[in-house]
Amino acid sequence: MIEVKNLTFSYRKDKQVLHGLNFTVGDGEIFGFLGPNGSGKSTAQKILTGILKGHGGYALLFGQDISTAHTQDFFSKIGVLFEFPYLYANLSAVDNLKYFSSFYPAKQLRDIGEILEKLEFKADFMKKPVSSYSKGMRQRVSMARALISSPELLFLDEPTSGLDPSGAVLFRKIIEEERKKGTTVFLTTHNMLDADLLCDRVAFITNGNIVALDTPKRLKEQNSHYRVQIEYMYQGRREEKTIEIPELEKGIPFRHDEIISIHSEEPTLEDMFIQYTGRGLS
Amino acid sequence: MWKNFCSLFRKDCQMMLDGKFFLVTFGSLMIYTLFINFGYVNFMNAELYNVYLFDPQGTQQGISELIAPVTSLEELNTVLSEDVNGVGIDASSGTPDIVFYFGSEKADHHRADYALSLLRQDKQYTARTVGTNTPELKKRKEMSCELLFIEIIAVGFLGIASVLFKEKQMGVIRVHAVLPFNKSLFIVSKIMVFLLSDLIFAGWMTVLNIGFHDAAGILPNVLVQTAILSLIMSLTGFGCTLLLKDFRQFSLVYLVIAIFAAAPVFLSANTSVKMAWIDWHPFYHVYMGLKNACFGVPVTNPVYYLCSVCGIVILFQIVQTAFHKEMGKEG
Repeated sequence: MIEVKNLTFSYRKDKQVLHGLNFTVGDGEIFGFLGPNGSGKSTAQKILTGILKGHGGYALLFGQDISTAHTQDFFSKIGVLFEFPYLYANLSAVDNLKYFSSFYPAKQLRDIGEILEKLEFKADFMKKPVSSYSKGMRQRVSMARALISSPELLFLDEPTSGLDPSGAVLFRKIIEEERKKGTTVFLTTHNMLDADLLCDRVAFITNGNIVALDTPKRLKEQNSHYRVQIEYMYQGRREEKTIEIPELEKGIPFRHDEIISIHSEEPTLEDMFIQYTGRGLS
Repeated sequence: MWKNFCSLFRKDCQMMLDGKFFLVTFGSLMIYTLFINFGYVNFMNAELYNVYLFDPQGTQQGISELIAPVTSLEELNTVLSEDVNGVGIDASSGTPDIVFYFGSEKADHHRADYALSLLRQDKQYTARTVGTNTPELKKRKEMSCELLFIEIIAVGFLGIASVLFKEKQMGVIRVHAVLPFNKSLFIVSKIMVFLLSDLIFAGWMTVLNIGFHDAAGILPNVLVQTAILSLIMSLTGFGCTLLLKDFRQFSLVYLVIAIFAAAPVFLSANTSVKMAWIDWHPFYHVYMGLKNACFGVPVTNPVYYLCSVCGIVILFQIVQTAFHKEMGKEG
């Protein structure tokens, strides 16, 4: 679906923000693009969606070079959720969706009411102006806008931002459903939980370079210490011990009365990000 | 494409309705009409200017009987100091020189042209056409033209800014970057809404203040000149809105335009203030085009139209570049 080779971009001559990105995204894959602010992830997404011109290297989308791909046909096949919920504040959710969907061929449009219902949008707000909505409600309308045209390729920038935990779970479920339908998802995020739970593969980007690219599981495994931390009771005292995983093959290798918990010391995706980039995600 | 344009046009009309722009325009029309019909025409009692000629050698032939001859320069000065709206012609050197009363600030080119037209009735002077209007009609046309010019320069310019700044703040311009339509339509749609609004305004302004019968003959030319001015101003407003950070910066630019663009034009066209460079001022030509149209003298110079079209095309290109830049901005 997406093939990027040696992608470079400079806003000015002395300000190169992308230094030769290489990656591919397969059909129906959820690909996570993770990086701190200013790392170049939004720039890369803007190049792929045709908002920014003048890149170096090449990128293929739908098998077509993006220098020539950004036609109306191309835009009909993609859906974009921006980092912020950009909507007409004076129009209602329904009017916003009617307006934005009016640019797409009618045959590929979904039903507005149905999609809002799926996103658990409060029905009594459907005809009220967006200016009266909470951030979570605006994010739901924005997501509906991105999905309304049944896109083949979905660009999502911080999809769960501004949502409460149940809203975030719902969005992840919807993204998962989209993938099952065959939609490819390009997910740009700070949120390691989203990336870990959703993405087939993730790329860590920092200072315009991809420093690691693999499945979240493998990234974590490659850097695992293969240790577990065991909390237990022995002779009325609560104690804690860390042992190598192979030691467990013959059972718990120390005296104990009761095991309270066993935690693997596998690193989180965020630990891996910090390890690869030397930076946090803020 | 037509379907996309209609969507954009409908949305822009909705934005203007919500922003009360049409209400402001309608209010302006009412205020201007009330001012011209019940204020300006009644209180600024317009009379024909008296024209005085000092021509001791009788060099001027075929002069109008409306010209009052004087016998000396002293008499000319005396009569002009009493009749401050009068126009003096000193032809003692053989060439007619226009003389206004020294302290008069109401002197304008139209009066000068009118005086010369009386002097040379057989020669071509646009003022001869002016002279066919009744004093009241002349006043109505002058004021309608000036208010129309102000309305389009000021209100139209601010109107597009108020609508576009809202869209900029809401970030929706960025959404349009990924929608399947020709991005130029976004600009064209907005410009068309303002053009249509300005044309309707100009039509009503002309009919209500000049009268249906007199307006009928001049309306097509007035609308052409209005269209030129409207396109220039809305594209300028569009460009400024995209390039400037907020409405405060825009207000400063608006002041600059008001001071450096509109003021010299009014001064040069309506008073005795002379500016050698005014011919290089594009708004001067547009204003004179509008004024001449109001007085039934359409601009026929193709260079004027060519320059107007070139200006509009250049402005459109600038706006398009600024629009693409805006779409690529961070949130």
